[in-house]
Amino acid sequence: MTPNEQATLLDALLDGDISEADFLRLEAELIVDPEVRKTYYRRLEMDLLLAELASEGQRPSPDHSAAATDQRSGRLRRWAGVVVAIAAALVFIVAMLHSAADREIAERDNENPPAQIRSENEPSATGFAVLSGQTDAVWEGDPIDNGGLLPQGELHLVSGLVHVELFSGVQMVIRGDAVFSIDSPMQVSMQRGSARAHVPEPAQGFRLKTGAGEVIDLGTEFAVEVDEMRSSVKVVDGEVELRPSDSGTRRLRVGEGVELAANGTVTRESADDISLVGPAAFQDALARRQSSHFRQWQLATEMLRNDPRLMAHYLVDPDQGWSRQLVNRASSAGRVNGTVIAGDGAVVAATRTQDRWGRDGGALDFSRMGSRVRVVVPGEHRGLTLMCWVKINSLDRWYNSLFLTDGHEEREPHWQIMNDGRMFFSVKPPNMDDWTQAERERQVFYSPPFWDPSMSGQWTMLATVYDVDQQLVTHSVNGEPISRQSIPEKLLVEQIKIGSASICNWSEPMYRSDATFVVRNLNGSVDEFALFSGALSATEILNLYHVGNPNER
Amino acid sequence: MNQPPDDDSAQPTPLGDSAFVALLTECQLPLRLYISALLPGDPAAGDVIQQANAKIWEKRGDFEAGTNFKAWTMAVARFEVLNHRKRQARDSRLRFSDELEETIATELAEVNDDLAERQAALRECMQSLKPASRDLLMRRYASQQSLAEFADQLGRSVGGIKVTLHRLRTSLGDCIQRRLAATGDRQ
Repeated sequence: MTPNEQATLLDALLDGDISEADFLRLEAELIVDPEVRKTYYRRLEMDLLLAELASEGQRPSPDHSAAATDQRSGRLRRWAGVVVAIAAALVFIVAMLHSAADREIAERDNENPPAQIRSENEPSATGFAVLSGQTDAVWEGDPIDNGGLLPQGELHLVSGLVHVELFSGVQMVIRGDAVFSIDSPMQVSMQRGSARAHVPEPAQGFRLKTGAGEVIDLGTEFAVEVDEMRSSVKVVDGEVELRPSDSGTRRLRVGEGVELAANGTVTRESADDISLVGPAAFQDALARRQSSHFRQWQLATEMLRNDPRLMAHYLVDPDQGWSRQLVNRASSAGRVNGTVIAGDGAVVAATRTQDRWGRDGGALDFSRMGSRVRVVVPGEHRGLTLMCWVKINSLDRWYNSLFLTDGHEEREPHWQIMNDGRMFFSVKPPNMDDWTQAERERQVFYSPPFWDPSMSGQWTMLATVYDVDQQLVTHSVNGEPISRQSIPEKLLVEQIKIGSASICNWSEPMYRSDATFVVRNLNGSVDEFALFSGALSATEILNLYHVGNPNER
Repeated sequence: MNQPPDDDSAQPTPLGDSAFVALLTECQLPLRLYISALLPGDPAAGDVIQQANAKIWEKRGDFEAGTNFKAWTMAVARFEVLNHRKRQARDSRLRFSDELEETIATELAEVNDDLAERQAALRECMQSLKPASRDLLMRRYASQQSLAEFADQLGRSVGGIKVTLHRLRTSLGDCIQRRLAATGDRQ
């Protein structure tokens, strides 16, 4: 094949109109000849770079020459923006995609089948923006949590205020009643509602489309108000280009505004101020509200100390980053019924990370293998309540530990999350040896799946109550019960014991002959963990959630 | 108590939000190159790139600071390519053999990219083209149309357009090589 023939075939390949015979010829050359592959990569690069240039040319960039000299700016930085705290974790995907030799982290568990690689129904997320804050937001359909991706397609914010960050770096505050869609990181369509957009330099050229026309940002902040009858645009700072659907393009500078009729004709050469806070002011207000909420939570945890049922309450002190000791804040003073409390926890391998209030070092990250907090909980307990605030990165193990006793002996509890997102709780009944397999399996109380990868990185409160008197196991997520199951008479354990245990890991899986162990540490972080002797009521669980939820609205 | 060895040397550091976004932003062109190389001529490649970005963002917690970010994003992207193929299972589009894909994936992940330099060179080379040629290239690359539709719109034959574009790309490619070589000499 001559170089020219090669180039022609590559063109045909990239234009998507190559014949099968030519495809096979080209493929054969690509396989055997590294030089041909290099030509292929060069040709692809040229396409990409030309496409970049072409799209720049389409943008009404006021400083095209400046962009041309700064080769790294412009679209290369389009994907700037987006704020959510992140903890480092293990590279599960890479391990999954690379050779088997890299799969050292895969689980080796004798008593269970190996972790499945769920490529078949791999969950996926789509979207171009993250919801980074909201006040009194009511969405049509399911609520969207802070930090979650905004789905593609039409969104209806019935009321309230939200702060949206597009992957391009554009920040928007949108007020309901609003109907809009995020078409791409550089384009939002709005049928109705008010919005204020702050557009950083790398995202210049961002467009907001309404029925009456388009607003193209030349930097930095503008507001729109759209309803069925009219659209108004007001420039808060910088400059925008307005393209009414009915007439020619025009520029609007700071302070200027225009009102358009629904058909795009200009009805007024000015616009009233649109009373909507900008993204920066919105975040300030959220932070202020959160800090007052934070103080309430601190007060509430002080009061919780004296709850006679509280056996252990671990919080991570951000001011003691060096300490490997986790002080049990439960107080033994004034215990009337003699409930003993747990000792302090010992932090092993877990590293400090940001807590749910945004404080550095206020949480423990358990994603590193071997990470755990060792605790000893004495006594026997008629019922048990476990609660923790957790941020899960991913559920990439068969079992993802929350709280496990060292072994799994009679009357000991195990609390973990399955890789399909179900919560797992069991208290091993005594005398199980002569039971059938089916009977043994009934000792585990699973919740329905509550977690999927779209919740990755979000703080969540989990609680499980083992109520002896009502013979009931209740799993709750963010204060709401997601399952209630009755405990069969035969399985009921009236006196639970714990002894030595680990938070977010399991100590049992060490095999005696070698150093291989089952990986069961949670790939995530915890900033609060509490154990109560006896059962908390549903209301008490809900209250714990409300007082501890940093996003409380 | 049997504890796994506590190895402090392997302590991961959490990667901050803005650091992650900066890495992801830097990686956009290599990522697009990679996905386009595995899906040559597929008009849906843009969607797959978008999808891969969303996935990378979603999996950001899994990235271990200090490891090769580009390789990591490409591993995620590879998966998105496979997913795309699965969705398009009935599409009879031609695709490279697994063997070739593997080679491309490896080479592109390792290649020391000088895309920014190439982009600068290309900008300058564009200036040396006749305005009409420049305009044609820009229109072609800005359009989402097939080559036939594009030719139709211009009132030209598909074959003619193909040849013109091919010549323009070749001369641009040569120009870029010369400029890069010249820059290299000066350094």
